[in-house]
Amino acid sequence: MYIIIVGCGRLGSALSMELSDAGHNISVVDRDSKKFELLGSGFNGLSVKGIEYDNKVLEEAGIDHADYLLSLTPDDNLNIMVSLIAKECFSVPRVISRVNEFSKQRVYELMEIETINPTELISYLIKSKIEGIQK
Amino acid sequence: MKSIIIGGGKVGYNLLKLLKERGYDVTLVERNEDVCKKIAEDTDADIICGDGTDISVLQDAGILRADIIASVTGNDEENLVVCQIAKKGFHIRKSIARINNPKNIETFKLLGVDQTVCSTAVIASLIEYEFDRDVCRIVQTFDRGAMILVEVQVNETNRWLNSFVKDLTLPPQCTLASILRNETVIFPRGDTQILLNDNIHIITNQSIFPEIKKLIQNGDTRHEKRKK
Repeated sequence: MYIIIVGCGRLGSALSMELSDAGHNISVVDRDSKKFELLGSGFNGLSVKGIEYDNKVLEEAGIDHADYLLSLTPDDNLNIMVSLIAKECFSVPRVISRVNEFSKQRVYELMEIETINPTELISYLIKSKIEGIQK
Repeated sequence: MKSIIIGGGKVGYNLLKLLKERGYDVTLVERNEDVCKKIAEDTDADIICGDGTDISVLQDAGILRADIIASVTGNDEENLVVCQIAKKGFHIRKSIARINNPKNIETFKLLGVDQTVCSTAVIASLIEYEFDRDVCRIVQTFDRGAMILVEVQVNETNRWLNSFVKDLTLPPQCTLASILRNETVIFPRGDTQILLNDNIHIITNQSIFPEIKKLIQNGDTRHEKRKK
């Protein structure tokens, strides 16, 4: 699979390495080149520095032949814009975005963007631990 | 008419005052509390402190009965999201986005936000036209440069000086609309002669404009260098 990961913070970098180790082709985009240090030396994917919603940057990251685009930045508006560009301008087959603020969930739904809400998932996991459902 | 402005910076604040003066029912949404307070001291407009890309904030601002929404924050992502919400979620008749980085104009167009104003590009071109003011300048722009009205002041160095309209070599997408001479309007025909201090009005488009500038300048390449 050719996967583009937008945002190379803790989540973006960890996922990039994980998927890269699993044998996928990864390209990571972030406007801050310092963030790429989080990837470590073992990462053998592509890292592209630039404004995440710039068409040229996305093209450089290989968006025309990407199977997946994952927008994982901590800025919801940025995630929405990148996801819309990926879906509507480049017809990427599958686009998944990270939700940061609960209140923005509806905006993602309105734009028909598939989402993952880490806060919700973690809360659920912690709750399950406390209530012992995980046992 | 009910309108909503997102962003209370210089653009948003001045737009608010302007629309208020014109008698519009305006609500301003700004996320910075201090900025909200400052604006509230100056005007009696409705101000909501909140994130303009949050649907519930927009509902508080009265988006359900709004006719126009203008998103003028300094953040292009935010402006895009506001316009998309307005269009897809509330079917607002008109939503206008400010674009800060001219690179994003094309992206906004592709994503279906067609009412945009790129403040940076507008200011840059206004300043550029000031440089050329003595030779020719754009008086009015229609449909974002698809058609423009240009005014040419005929001075001694103008190549068209003393020529007849029929002898001018003009690019195809360009037409002489009128000549203003001593406060009389002349509608040029082939036998009209161009005289000193005439004000010629030309209808053309943005891409032909540099060509016209080149045509009328007599061996003066000063403006060409900057153009590329």
